[in-house]
Amino acid sequence: MTQLMTNTSYLQRLLPSASDSSPGPLWLQARREEARQQWLRAGLPKNTDEQWRFTDLSPLAETVFSSTAAALAAAPSSDGRLPGIEAAELVLVNGKFHHQASRLPPAPVKIALLSQAAAAELKIFEDLLGTQARPTHHGLSALNTANFSDVVLVEVPAGITVAAPLNLIVHAVGAQPFAAYPRILLKIGANSSVTVVLSFAGPDNLAYLTNSLVETYVGVGSRVELVKIQREGTAASHIGSDYVHLDRDVTFQSLSLNQGGLLVRNNVTVTLAGPGSQATLNGLSMTAGRQHVDNHTMLDHAREHCASHELYKSLLAGRSSGTFTGKILVRPGSQKTDAKQTSKAVLLSSQATMNSQPQLEIYADDVKCTHGSTNGPLDDEQLFYLRARGLAYNQARAMLTSAFAADVLARVWQPALRTMLEDLVVTELHRLEREEF
Amino acid sequence: MPILEIKDLQAGIAGRQILRGVNLTIAPGEVHAIMGPNGSGKSTLAQVLAGRDTYVVTGGSVRLNGQDLLDMSPEERACAGLFLAFQYPVEIPGVSTSYFLKAALNAVRKYHGQPELDAMDFLKLMKQKMKLLDMDTSFLSRAVNEGFSGGEKKRNEILQMAVLDPKLAILDETDSGLDIDALRIVAGGVNSLRGPDRGILLVTHYQRLLNYIVPDYVHVLRDGQIIKSGDKNLALELEARGYGWLEEPVAVH
Repeated sequence: MTQLMTNTSYLQRLLPSASDSSPGPLWLQARREEARQQWLRAGLPKNTDEQWRFTDLSPLAETVFSSTAAALAAAPSSDGRLPGIEAAELVLVNGKFHHQASRLPPAPVKIALLSQAAAAELKIFEDLLGTQARPTHHGLSALNTANFSDVVLVEVPAGITVAAPLNLIVHAVGAQPFAAYPRILLKIGANSSVTVVLSFAGPDNLAYLTNSLVETYVGVGSRVELVKIQREGTAASHIGSDYVHLDRDVTFQSLSLNQGGLLVRNNVTVTLAGPGSQATLNGLSMTAGRQHVDNHTMLDHAREHCASHELYKSLLAGRSSGTFTGKILVRPGSQKTDAKQTSKAVLLSSQATMNSQPQLEIYADDVKCTHGSTNGPLDDEQLFYLRARGLAYNQARAMLTSAFAADVLARVWQPALRTMLEDLVVTELHRLEREEF
Repeated sequence: MPILEIKDLQAGIAGRQILRGVNLTIAPGEVHAIMGPNGSGKSTLAQVLAGRDTYVVTGGSVRLNGQDLLDMSPEERACAGLFLAFQYPVEIPGVSTSYFLKAALNAVRKYHGQPELDAMDFLKLMKQKMKLLDMDTSFLSRAVNEGFSGGEKKRNEILQMAVLDPKLAILDETDSGLDIDALRIVAGGVNSLRGPDRGILLVTHYQRLLNYIVPDYVHVLRDGQIIKSGDKNLALELEARGYGWLEEPVAVH
């Protein structure tokens, strides 16, 4: 009975009180209510759920998160900027768009907020918001829908090549433990080309929660790159749910770069909804201490002649742990599907752990699906070879860890962004080297 | 002072004794060959000298130019002038040969208090050394040993030796995996690196290599001890008669 009460109270605690939420249009009220109900039913996913086997969310139920309203006036730090890159910057503070700190992209790229949307824009929100992220997917995605304080829409019209990356800087700001629910919609029209960066940052040593949800819609023939740089604070929990919907003949690539946070779960769901599209999903996690990063991908091959290619790499130091789950669903009729999935982890300490599991569901007969995973320490033979040529132990290790990360970074399309990320990774690898192993 | 002085060296792996008292002295300018049947401890000797920590040294001493070698880490040994050409050169995906070689060369230079080479001087040096081994400069941009043929791997080893300019070079089964053309090129490279200040230790199962790199001394290793020493004719005799005719180990103290 006590247990039940505790559960009920944390479920309620994480929902906004009636006075917090602005009513908004009817369709929105209905979606929020549906999400509330779903959250109260489902709550936090548990380890008994196969999809959450390796990630324990129970610390979230025990934390009392305060309101974020007080922090909204705070000027955000420069964290999340892309040094050396001329990028448009859209700054969100605890999910609210921060006009003063932002540098808007030039027209015809459009930015709109649900809270201030004109009628035409409101239609886009109504059509797209929550269309992919159904409340039933998991409780946390419902919790975002119930709680988000605003929705930022970035719209790239058809036939546009956006040369510079668009950087969405998602700040978490607060002094007491708090929960933030950033919500973003990306709508890319047909035959457009764009790179969007999502930079997550927040304060160290504070047990806050970022529960973010990004829905992306890519039109026919477009070329889209989505780079997520997750640098949350050292004690933060980060639940990131990315939903990507691809029309036909799309080339889509993502990179999920994880270095921050204590408890991190990235849900990436890509639906190949039109024939002839290809999706490349890359990941690089670098963890130390007691960090836990769980990359959970779902590739829904809903149409024929599509290709998906996943390469997730992890470097784990200290007592950190990682998980990669790669789910591939090939629906009936999705012939000539070509799906390849690879997970590789280097364990830099004997106490670091990695779990990886492929989950293939194939309902078509003319398809190619491969998966592979390797986890282990740095190669002793390679290490000795480098040392036998005069390289110091730490230098040899650094050379091998950067080489391990190199091919993931080499795939980034934007050259300036690639260079910036390579520098960032080198710095990060030094952090791991300082860690006891 | 000898370049290498091994006294009563004993070493093994996981409780199994492999080297049972090896004695060997190499003076500057000398080329020594160690031959022996499989399992005699030849490769173990090469790995122990280079500092491979899978082997445990249980007795004896080794000096490199008078310095206690067994006290040094593998990288200190390399910097102090010991070079091991690996029997099986290791592939390192993601690290280009030029990046690797430059890092290695600069590590050795730093150890000797010399300034690092800049990119231009490094490239000049590389071109000169690669010519010696009939190597194309495209090697430099390839990942270390990745996808290299057997001959390319061994040439890469000798190239590293040429660049790092060691006091003592240990060549572990350098002829394995080489066809006759590749063997000639590799041997030519090694011969060009013979000199009055350098010692070379060839570890080989077969005499074939010694036709191209003619040693001053030949030693036979069996059951972890040198049981016979001689000049290059000993190698020819071994080739003709095999190892069977050699008697039980005799003390060579």
